[in-house]
Amino acid sequence: MQKNINHKIQKALDSLDGMDKASVKPFFFARLEARMNSEKSIWGNVSSFVARPAIAFACICFIIMVNAAVIFSSAKSNAVSSSQNDEIATVDEYSQVSSNLFEFVNTQP
Amino acid sequence: MNDERELIALLKKKDRKAFKIIVEAWQDMVYNTALGLLQNAEDAEDTAQEVFIQVYDSILTFKEESKFSTWLYRITVTKSLDLIRKKKRKKRFAFVQSLYGKNDELVNDPSDFFHPGVKLENKENAVVLFKAVEKLPANQKTAFILNKTEGLSYGEISEIMKLSGSAVDALLQRAKKNLQTHLKEYYEVALK
Repeated sequence: MQKNINHKIQKALDSLDGMDKASVKPFFFARLEARMNSEKSIWGNVSSFVARPAIAFACICFIIMVNAAVIFSSAKSNAVSSSQNDEIATVDEYSQVSSNLFEFVNTQP
Repeated sequence: MNDERELIALLKKKDRKAFKIIVEAWQDMVYNTALGLLQNAEDAEDTAQEVFIQVYDSILTFKEESKFSTWLYRITVTKSLDLIRKKKRKKRFAFVQSLYGKNDELVNDPSDFFHPGVKLENKENAVVLFKAVEKLPANQKTAFILNKTEGLSYGEISEIMKLSGSAVDALLQRAKKNLQTHLKEYYEVALK
């Protein structure tokens, strides 16, 4: 059994000796050229679409609008946060006034 | 040699006629190497096409310090191993999906690979050997395929793989040992 297995292993290892090389199917270059042209045309189409004046102008407008929206929203949030800070300051001042122990104790004039 | 240099110089100027001559001269070498590594005729054709597209696009990066064929072999091996890795990742992902019930079908094991260049009387043994070759680590597989299917010498393999001659020798020894182990496991089950 072991001898048989060893024999089979050796035969398998030797099975590639003297083998021929595989060849591509006919018209390989024609297929390759077709693929190169199709890949080129995909990118060519994309770049020509993006380079159209209307598309380019729309893209620039969109980018400007997004930028403007971001600037406005950040300015608004800054204004809201500063008014909140004022309110907090007023409350603090008020509480400081009312929590004065001397005034609570001496209520009579 | 001069012709080769002239062709490369023309290709650097994007000459399509020179490109055609180069493709026709090396297409079988590229395809045969990819076929040995990938063990699938369609994938090998696809990879061979990608190799030549890369050659056309990046010929300016070829510094002519090594032989053109060495550069071609390197691109072919890299592209083939990339595809093998991609397929393995896909297989793993499909397996995980099947565990979670998203995909009922498990990816089937590839069918037996018959290399068209193998002699008829060796076909059955070669099928078993290619199954074992598939299990080898990438560098051992590359060295083995370049040696056996392309018939390259240790020196040529060491140039392609950017290794020393002794490192290639060690790789091939380890590949043979691993193949013996895989083949033993296979025949012990098959002959029971």
